[in-house]
Amino acid sequence: MSATNNAHPGPAVTAAALAVVVFLQIPVIIVVLAAFSTTSYLTIPPRGWTLAWFGKVLSDPTYLSAIRMSLFLACGSTAISLLLGVAAAYALFRKALPGSEAITAVLMAPLILPAVVIGVALLQYFSLTGLRGNLVGLLLAHVVITVPYVVRSALASLSGLDLALEDAARVLGATGFETFRLVTLPLIWPGLLAGALFAFITSLDNVPVTIFLIGANQTTLPVLIFTSVEMGIDPSVAAVSTLLIVATGIVLLIAERRAGFHRFV
Amino acid sequence: MRASRYGLILLAPLALVLAGFFILPVLMMLPVSFREYVPGAGLAPGVWTLENYARIVTDDYYREVIWRTLGLGLFVTLACLLLGYPLAYLIARGPERWRVPLILLVIFPMLLNLVVRSFGWIALLANRGLVNNLLLQLGLIHAPLKLMFNITGLMIGLTHIYLPFMVLMLVAAIRNVPGDVEAAAATLGSSRLHVFTSVTLPLSAPGILAGSILVFVLTISALVTPRMLGGPTYKVMATLIYDEFMQLLDWPAGSALSFALTLMAVAVIWLSSRLTRRWAGMA
Repeated sequence: MSATNNAHPGPAVTAAALAVVVFLQIPVIIVVLAAFSTTSYLTIPPRGWTLAWFGKVLSDPTYLSAIRMSLFLACGSTAISLLLGVAAAYALFRKALPGSEAITAVLMAPLILPAVVIGVALLQYFSLTGLRGNLVGLLLAHVVITVPYVVRSALASLSGLDLALEDAARVLGATGFETFRLVTLPLIWPGLLAGALFAFITSLDNVPVTIFLIGANQTTLPVLIFTSVEMGIDPSVAAVSTLLIVATGIVLLIAERRAGFHRFV
Repeated sequence: MRASRYGLILLAPLALVLAGFFILPVLMMLPVSFREYVPGAGLAPGVWTLENYARIVTDDYYREVIWRTLGLGLFVTLACLLLGYPLAYLIARGPERWRVPLILLVIFPMLLNLVVRSFGWIALLANRGLVNNLLLQLGLIHAPLKLMFNITGLMIGLTHIYLPFMVLMLVAAIRNVPGDVEAAAATLGSSRLHVFTSVTLPLSAPGILAGSILVFVLTISALVTPRMLGGPTYKVMATLIYDEFMQLLDWPAGSALSFALTLMAVAVIWLSSRLTRRWAGMA
């Protein structure tokens, strides 16, 4: 059996790999520590601990409105992307249209184009059409950047679907929509959930498209952090970042428990 | 006939959104890139020019930014490959019970907000940041090292941000290498290193290529991290485009640069897909 062990990672590889895992977590740990530190730059050892920055963030109307805006855009664009993306993926999967490969390529194109290019293209377009600062326009821009994740995960889930199950439902008298809702949807649900989570996070994360399109009072949380860092470092940025870190961690753990999220990345 | 009408109804809403909010806006940028910009006045009426594109290849500053962007892409890709391979190998071939926790530790920073991760690196790399602070306290340096607003900061930050993508691609590729082949090579007396270089590495080459293309394209397209760690003066293509639109208001130049960046990204993806096809043909 010792021969097969040569395909297993040795101690040197294991040590290097674990060092890389630590490297991946370093900035996360630093941000969390900085949020509780009394000094604006984290020192070792820290001068003192405080919760004041969290209080400052949670009572600051600028931060609160940015958080609200980010959540609105992320929830709205994820819901719309799910609805439109799953419908389109289903049509492609059932080969209901000619040229489905070309259509899939177009639906995925927003992933290939640099986000900043989509951002400036929409900036010009919104300026010409007077849509700049329009909430619906901003929401649909987020749909464009989130929908490829939903389409991709829906197509992947559908490709594993046993068509006989749909046929059985139709034979037993279900309509097309009933079949989809009662048979197809429950079967592809875990994959869709993973796609929806990616869409949600992509919207919540986005700066390069959003920053060109927002009007007054439409600043999102990442845009607010992005622009406030240019003014200099402020521990309240660390505090709001820590809130995001905790939220992301919780969502990831729930997605892993509920849908086995790691299988979908 | 019925089938295609029902397909059309399902596809139409998304097609309309993409046509109106993606394809049309990008296409409308094309004529703008051939216009002349007059500072303070906007587009010169009735003037069409190739100047914006010519400047990209002739202007020294633009060329410097483009080479910097490509060099950064190349370095970050190599760094992700070197750092990512051992980790991917441990996830794919290491103890089974480590697999899910390790994957989650790779996904977690990937899902985390980009501005938050970049902010973390600012807290580490700034003049008064943790790294300089520590080195000064230990007496190893007497003045803070310049780790930000230059190539060092961008390389560290971008490598950290795109490493998870590389690791996930490599894990999939290494898991596709049949363990039997590795075991056979080992049984026949190959050393651990030889098994790796003669079996695992060549058989995971398609994944290495796919991961490298992904990281390269993401790196040359990145805006947020280069801006936060590079500041307003140390520019890459994406931040240059950002400034042409937000600060200089030179939309024609910005549009031409946008198409140049898009062309670079698409060309790299196209070349790699041709390469993969040739490999598949040889197999």
